[in-house]
Amino acid sequence: MKYRVVEIGQSIMRKNDALAASLRARFETSGTLVVNLLSSPGSGKTTLLEETLVRLAPRLRVGALVGDQATDNDARRLARSGAPVRQITTAAECRLDAGMIASALESWQPGALDVLFIENVGNLICPAEYDLGEDLRAVLFSVTEGEDKPLKYPLAFNTAQVALVTKVDIAQAVGFDRAAAHRSMHDVHPDIEVLELSARTGERMERWIDLIEERLAAKRKQPAMSPSR
Amino acid sequence: MHELSVALSLIEGVQEAAAREGIERVTAVHVRVGALSGVARDALEFSWELATAGTLAADSALRIEDVPLVVFCERCEAERSPRPANGLLCPACGNACAKVVRGRELQLVAMEVPQ
Repeated sequence: MKYRVVEIGQSIMRKNDALAASLRARFETSGTLVVNLLSSPGSGKTTLLEETLVRLAPRLRVGALVGDQATDNDARRLARSGAPVRQITTAAECRLDAGMIASALESWQPGALDVLFIENVGNLICPAEYDLGEDLRAVLFSVTEGEDKPLKYPLAFNTAQVALVTKVDIAQAVGFDRAAAHRSMHDVHPDIEVLELSARTGERMERWIDLIEERLAAKRKQPAMSPSR
Repeated sequence: MHELSVALSLIEGVQEAAAREGIERVTAVHVRVGALSGVARDALEFSWELATAGTLAADSALRIEDVPLVVFCERCEAERSPRPANGLLCPACGNACAKVVRGRELQLVAMEVPQ
């Protein structure tokens, strides 16, 4: 059969990226710092977020959007902090995209926010592709996971500005090889800022809280940069 | 999971381009998939039939061009291809490279249309 070739030449992320850019402009106007949390299932995103909201809520207006394929358990757990929390149930989708954030914001009225946290679906592959208009992408990596995880999921670690090594309170018990973990994170992102903490014991949570406050202050003094792509 | 939504986004792009050009049937779609994109070739091929069913690209072939990972090594001042599962390490000098030159692509390149 004879055929002709019609050139198209576009990224399939084009729509998401355009929506993310409009979200970024909107958060720029409102002066809201947006933090996108990425990790495998079970790395401790919800525990970290719960503790983060509790610590920030007395000083800042904080809220969270929480993505899961099913159930609103996480949102109910987080709502105990008193901060406004909204669940996004993604059903078949394994990640959040900018369109889901935009539509959640349409029907959710959290009031003016200083910091909006987005807890992505537990998965290190798909969420890494999708810009959500965030200022800060933080990837969590617990001490119970393999130290070479960053090498297996390079994009997530390459596109995050901060890596949070979680559950450090049990690091010794599980034989966590700190040097190997740091090496593999730096192998995929030489400039990544690494914080080690435990949300459960509160150990070294202050540095994370300080970092958010620093980023918020920086954003309000100067236009935010989009995450590197 | 990811691949089905990638396939659906590709089809959406094909439908838009076809509407612009007044095309009614598409027999093949060319895409470029980067090594770092997290898209598995087999899963994308598997999703293709499902995603195209009932569309103008039903029964079309999916032609995937794999794009290998290429980083820029600042120490070598050159583009390098890291070895698989070796992060973004320069294969020549071992330097960890932050800058991805190629390998993140998820592109709809072209479509074949019967004449």
